[in-house]
Amino acid sequence: MQRAVGSLPLGPALRARLAAAGFQTAQELLDTGPCGLSREIGISKEEALETLQVVRQECSGDAARTAGGAGTTRKCTALELLEEEQAQGFIITFCSALDNILGGGVQLTKITEVCGAPGVGKTQLCMQLAVDVQIPECFGGVCGEAVFIDTEGSFMVDRVADIAAACVQHCQLIAEAHQEEDHQKALETFSLESILSHIYYFRCRDYIELLAQVYLLPDFLSEHSKVRLVVIDGIAFPFRHDFEDLSLRTRLLNGLAQQLIIIANDHKSAVVLTNQMTTRIGQSQSTLVPALGESWGHAATVRLIFHWDKSQRLATLYKSPSQKESTIPYTITPHGFRDVQPPAVTQNTESTEMNPRKRPRREEEK
Amino acid sequence: MAAKKLRRAKLSQELCERLSRYQITTCQDFLCLSLLELMKVTGQSYRNVQKLLRQVSLACAPKMQTAYEMKVRRSVNPSSAFLSTTLHSLDKVLHGGVPCGSLTEITSPPGCGKTQFCIMMSVLATLPVSMGGLDGAVVYIDTESAFSAERLVEIAGNRFPTYFDSDEKLFCMTRSIHLYRELTCDNVLKRIKSLEEEIISKKVKLIIIDSVASVVRKEFDTKLQGNLAERSNFLARGASLLKYLAEEFSIPV
Repeated sequence: MQRAVGSLPLGPALRARLAAAGFQTAQELLDTGPCGLSREIGISKEEALETLQVVRQECSGDAARTAGGAGTTRKCTALELLEEEQAQGFIITFCSALDNILGGGVQLTKITEVCGAPGVGKTQLCMQLAVDVQIPECFGGVCGEAVFIDTEGSFMVDRVADIAAACVQHCQLIAEAHQEEDHQKALETFSLESILSHIYYFRCRDYIELLAQVYLLPDFLSEHSKVRLVVIDGIAFPFRHDFEDLSLRTRLLNGLAQQLIIIANDHKSAVVLTNQMTTRIGQSQSTLVPALGESWGHAATVRLIFHWDKSQRLATLYKSPSQKESTIPYTITPHGFRDVQPPAVTQNTESTEMNPRKRPRREEEK
Repeated sequence: MAAKKLRRAKLSQELCERLSRYQITTCQDFLCLSLLELMKVTGQSYRNVQKLLRQVSLACAPKMQTAYEMKVRRSVNPSSAFLSTTLHSLDKVLHGGVPCGSLTEITSPPGCGKTQFCIMMSVLATLPVSMGGLDGAVVYIDTESAFSAERLVEIAGNRFPTYFDSDEKLFCMTRSIHLYRELTCDNVLKRIKSLEEEIISKKVKLIIIDSVASVVRKEFDTKLQGNLAERSNFLARGASLLKYLAEEFSIPV
């Protein structure tokens, strides 16, 4: 109740008037009443009433927080966090090596950033995750929906349909092997149509649309409370060109990162971003580094870098709070994102199994 | 979308006037400010500013569609999803042909046949849908002056002799291929910007740019300071414009 007037969320003109009239604490405002307030400061009675309502709301919120009330308090012990984290789900990627280095898969409530050169498989991983997040719980998934925000236009529906069909087939095989009833029931709702209709797709053409969409995301997620994954494919693309003012870009990116962290925490969903690579020209050589600069590197909790090594695709865990840095190989097959098959068995079939939409990296493999 | 005036975002008249005093007239200006700056500029409380932000965002944000709706739309029109190249192995690798609605890039060392491929695709696009074409006009932006109309007629006549059996059919086809010779980067960008109206008026179904690299290399010497950024700027702007055209009209580029 002793809260200073300056800290209340009122308009600046109103605050200036209150300060000029000599009000210092919120209690004084409440004691004056709306008519007295309107007379002293010279605002209409309706405005005064509105102001007092805001003050009352703020103060009751304060009281609840100081009394340790439930709801918006963000204080909890580390033990509660530990229990929460252990109960939390992961979104599997169908590539067991990648799941291992990530500690189980893409973690919910964290921001994961995937960087890589063009053509290395970032969008493929995003499409795979958008399908995997919908796997029912009895098969080890999180049974959620996905929001896909596309800035580059590389989302191909036919490819997602292929990945989804492979995933459904995989689950059917598991169900046949185990023959449990809840598996059968879950399979009824887990079909190609249901998977596709639970991927919410937004196409943002420039950074303004992206900003607007992220402002609107909390409302969208409250309406669709089953969403467990938000993918932003190509966060670098709209910010890399047509930006003269670099400080504005940094500010917008930081604001975006903060909003995404809030979304990830409040709605218990994973946020996956894809980033491009840029060349940093050093003394004598040039290296590929993730785009958008050093300050953006602090936004993501987990960072994966995809790169080529001759003709093998590799994924490196670059930054993670709980796992150690390691590199694993992966491939992209017509079924989606998968582990590398052991070379002795399937040398020939691997080259023909490679995603037909991608150019083969070496002609002699064919 | 970004340049949308705030008036059309359904903000009140006096608020728009107040904002225009601070030179904030478009949605872009509004969304680029932080919450505190917005409070200062509009003179409203925190909660109201959040409501305003949501209103302006609603005006700018893209529409949602589920992946299922997209698939249904594509399967309704299977022939319009790809432009077949009539080279069977290439079509198999590309899963049907050159995809409509996205950019396809062809690169190779000189002399491999890129321009020939482009000329052949122009012929294919003018063919009727029953023969695997798109039955539409073609916009060909040529930066190397490598397009030869005689070669175009030769390809058409030899590849589809039964279809192009009369001179009249050949004239019809050549009339629907619009060739623009642009020799500088600025001109290329201007031409791409003007394409939107042309696509609608001339019913264009294929855009070819031959080639992007030559005009960029001529003008931007990357060893000079600052040119690298300008060049990437130009390329990125051109690419996003072309992507917009490809998606909006569902045509291959």
